[in-house]
Amino acid sequence: MRQCISLWFLALLAPALAFAAPNPKLALPSFSALAQKATESVTITLDPGLLGLAAKFLDSSDPQDAATMEVLKGLQGIYVRSYTFDKDSAYQQSDIDAVRSQLAAPGWNRLVETRSRKTHADVDIYIMLDHNQAIGLALIASEPRQFTIVNIVGAIDLDKLHKLEGQFGVPKLDIDVSKGTAPPAKREPAPAK
Amino acid sequence: MNDDSTDPLDEQLTKARRGERAALTLLVRTHQRSVYSLALRMLGTRDLAEDLTQEVFMQMNGNLSAIDSNRHLGFWLRQVTTNRAIDQLRRRARVPMTSLDEETQLFSAEEASDPLLQRHLQALLADLSPPARAVLLLRYQEDLDPPEIARTLDMPLNTVKSHLKRSLESMREKTMRMQPTRCEGSSYE
Amino acid sequence: MSEDLESQMRAALRSVAPSEEFSQKLVASVTSQPPAAPKARRRVAGLPLLAWWSSAGLAACVVLAVGIQQHLQQQRLQQSGLEARREVMEALRVTSQKLNLAYEAVKSQSTSLTDEQSGA
Repeated sequence: MRQCISLWFLALLAPALAFAAPNPKLALPSFSALAQKATESVTITLDPGLLGLAAKFLDSSDPQDAATMEVLKGLQGIYVRSYTFDKDSAYQQSDIDAVRSQLAAPGWNRLVETRSRKTHADVDIYIMLDHNQAIGLALIASEPRQFTIVNIVGAIDLDKLHKLEGQFGVPKLDIDVSKGTAPPAKREPAPAK
Repeated sequence: MNDDSTDPLDEQLTKARRGERAALTLLVRTHQRSVYSLALRMLGTRDLAEDLTQEVFMQMNGNLSAIDSNRHLGFWLRQVTTNRAIDQLRRRARVPMTSLDEETQLFSAEEASDPLLQRHLQALLADLSPPARAVLLLRYQEDLDPPEIARTLDMPLNTVKSHLKRSLESMREKTMRMQPTRCEGSSYE
Repeated sequence: MSEDLESQMRAALRSVAPSEEFSQKLVASVTSQPPAAPKARRRVAGLPLLAWWSSAGLAACVVLAVGIQQHLQQQRLQQSGLEARREVMEALRVTSQKLNLAYEAVKSQSTSLTDEQSGA
């Protein structure tokens, strides 16, 4: 009887579980209106084909290239959107809400949330885990005259990302993924805007 | 109007007119790739391309008696496919070209294909008006020369040449930009 | 340069096959339709006649053209590969820059907390 109930329960749950399979790839808006206002914009879309192509042109004897090759292993995509403006508050937080709302979906865990009074920069880092393995990373950085969204899809090895320190100036975040999501960093008061 | 071509498919065309299914199947299989590719790159999605491909071949089956040769059939299929696609695009709101994020394969998946060029090409195709898009595809997919394109689309030859010139210039401009999208004069912090 | 670009576009725009599933469905639907009754033959706008052939010269030209196209394609692929590599480096640089912002904020917060605690 108990087995029947369990099976029945699983049968009910299965469609919901299948439907809700988390997707680490964000649907990034075109930001075309903001791009027109920006003095500088960076749009990088590296799907598996391009990542594979790029990897062929990395030199394993060069330390930076070698570290990059290690990071790229297992990655399915890297997507960057970054816009710089010539005055403060040229963009609204609502412009980025379409991305933030995706990060509120099941599967995404906020790893780091920082608000800096010194640099006036807000940085949120999210991670998607599958059995303690990072399969997606999302970063939103809001500064007075720039915002940046980075989405990395695939088997992210945070240890290898750490090893990029010194190559691209990547800092150690001292976050142990194996213990689950780290609590967010304590917030500084938001700067008055 | 038949010429002195010794195209073996001419005989299949004759058989298909008589209702022989095997011959009709062979003709469909021979030309489906060209028709489907034109439809796909004109309309941008697999579903629409498949619908149009089916309509075109159904229409072909109803008009076989008016088609003189396999070569003529190729011309007829290209003409009908591109004209119907242009009509569809004009009737609907602008159908967005499939983004690279979606699964539809607009381009060859062969090893030697260039993904960056494909991206530029996709952007170019999306920017072109339906007639200009048809001109580009008939030139570079179907390898027609400008007078043949003009006949296929019932378009003045100078218009065809103008579309080609502008498309090439646009493509050249896109491929010359070797850096990630960036405006000049700024640097990062 | 223009010929190079045109040959690249030809390569990129080689026709793609529909799925086999669709292909079978297409054949089935077309062949199940009864053939139309023959209409009076009408002339349609004529097609150009085939050009003259020169067998050996043409074969040599074709081989040469294919060889040049492959070489140019390889060159283009190399350029694209280098551009893709640059984009990867740029993406990682931007990512690291923003990670650094977070790091600085965390570090700054830790320093402030330590100062507060030692001052209390």
